[in-house]
Amino acid sequence: VSTVLWLVFVAGAWLVVDARTSRVVVAYVVLAGTVTALTVPSSLMPSPTVALFFVSLALKLIVAPVGLLAFAGNNPAARNLRPALILPIRLVAVLGIGAIARGVPHLESLSAFPQVAVAAYVILCGLAVLTIDRNLLGQLVGLLVLSSGIELAGAIVAPGLPATIELGAAFDALVVTFIGLALVRAFLAHNPLLDVESLRSLRG
Amino acid sequence: MMHWRIDALSLLFAGIVCSIALLATCYSAGIRFVKAAGERAPWSHRPVYYALLAFFWAAMLLVVLADNFVLLWFGISATTLATAFLVGYSGEPAALEAAWKYLVLCSVGIALALLGILMLARATADPSALPLARLATSLMVLGFGTKAGLVPMHAWLPDAHSKAPAPISALLSGVLVSCSLYAIVRTLNASAVLGTAGSVQTLLLVLGVASVVVAGGLMLTQRDLKRLLAYSTVEHAGIVALALGFGGPLGTFAALFHLVAHAFAKSTAFFAVGVLQAQRGTTEIGALHGGCRVWPGRLLLGALVALGGMPPFGLFVSELLVIAAGVAAKQWTALGFALVGMLLGFAALARASIETQGGRMRVAAPAWHLRVPIGMTAVALFCAFGVALIPWTPAGALLHAVAAKVAKP
Repeated sequence: VSTVLWLVFVAGAWLVVDARTSRVVVAYVVLAGTVTALTVPSSLMPSPTVALFFVSLALKLIVAPVGLLAFAGNNPAARNLRPALILPIRLVAVLGIGAIARGVPHLESLSAFPQVAVAAYVILCGLAVLTIDRNLLGQLVGLLVLSSGIELAGAIVAPGLPATIELGAAFDALVVTFIGLALVRAFLAHNPLLDVESLRSLRG
Repeated sequence: MMHWRIDALSLLFAGIVCSIALLATCYSAGIRFVKAAGERAPWSHRPVYYALLAFFWAAMLLVVLADNFVLLWFGISATTLATAFLVGYSGEPAALEAAWKYLVLCSVGIALALLGILMLARATADPSALPLARLATSLMVLGFGTKAGLVPMHAWLPDAHSKAPAPISALLSGVLVSCSLYAIVRTLNASAVLGTAGSVQTLLLVLGVASVVVAGGLMLTQRDLKRLLAYSTVEHAGIVALALGFGGPLGTFAALFHLVAHAFAKSTAFFAVGVLQAQRGTTEIGALHGGCRVWPGRLLLGALVALGGMPPFGLFVSELLVIAAGVAAKQWTALGFALVGMLLGFAALARASIETQGGRMRVAAPAWHLRVPIGMTAVALFCAFGVALIPWTPAGALLHAVAAKVAKP
């Protein structure tokens, strides 16, 4: 168990700290794979759940990473996620996320689930990637990580609902993979850097 | 998992979904949405548009006819699949930007809602887990509230609703926001059963007041008519949240009635703006003078009067009912702030009405292909007027019964 927790911690930290798209995608695959391994016992029960599990597995661990890597491979400008914060601050952010996640099981509403700290850590890492990275691909990775965190939290809080958890995971991965990458592709014509800073024409 | 719920509340919302979606589909036949060939997105094609519209319609029906929160969540998520492409349909950079914000913010929101639903499932199995139930219902309200555009989760809404093609804006503002608020009504219903209605109502009051005040203030700064209408949607979603927060059968009735009245009034407004945009190529308020000389402008005036909460339209009655619910609940502070926000919103709509209707600009008669959209706009305005009579009809009695059941399950 401690090895798995360390794997989640390191992969989550890597996601927030690193700026190279390919390495961040690999960290995501490690994190999502670990989360999937943790949720497997509650997933493999009735047949519709098994089907949903394999669909979400394929989307999360194969289609989404391959899509992101292929995109970064074909577009040199998309190979760097261009974080908005410098490295030391990103490291401090990881430590802060860890500290907050450790405090989550102390909340009255979640005190019955000590393992929820791991899920909170993954969710917070997802939100951090979403807000720190200025490359649109980074935001897609953030959404995928957030979805993995929700999946893990669901498996901890409601282990009796594997079909719902897998449905949620599959659908989130589907939305992010297909809509997200389709929009990113359409963006390329106007914004080759895929920088979120260019998405400011509609403010106010 | 696939079970349907067909009760008075779901039938009411299914009626709204089908009527406005039908009008939007017919309206779409006469409007051209893509301007420059160079700005097309891969999905900017008519058959794709109609396929996505049908999918959007089906997903909204799934939301209102779902028997459980999982199916309801699935329906809300499925709307994102269709509408993200519909928002960015024109392929213009601003439309793609709006679609991106919509995708990111709503994905976070619906993820939170899913977490809330999973926690709710655990809390219902364990009656002693009251704090967990409180957290679950709060997460669900925040998640569905993101899709309804409640402040502070509203940032995507003005962009998406103003950059989508007019019939899609009408569906997003009139129907999708209503479906998201329907999910909140069902959440409130569940929280009443679990004994956590108090915390949910407090959260709704805070979100409602923030939405009405912030949107009312921002409406005054808008120079684009579609963006003004989008902020007006945030304001009206806030009024519904406020009414649900006031609670009781009166507050719930006011919220449901306001949802129905707003759906038709807002659809009319977006339909009318769509026709004006097709005629003049802009939605800038300053460039739409002389509207009272042509039918689309007159219909827009009717919609703006309705949205301003003026008689003889349904929103006049529903806003009075919301105020009465606030007085009955003795929520003076929330009511005071909300009245200020509503007055700001009214001032912005009044200014837009004067600017778009006045002036001596020569306006050409609408092209023949715009006759169907203008007809659909007129039908929507007629419906917006007709719903004002609901409280005095058998449908009103039914709505009262539904509200009483939601308030005290």
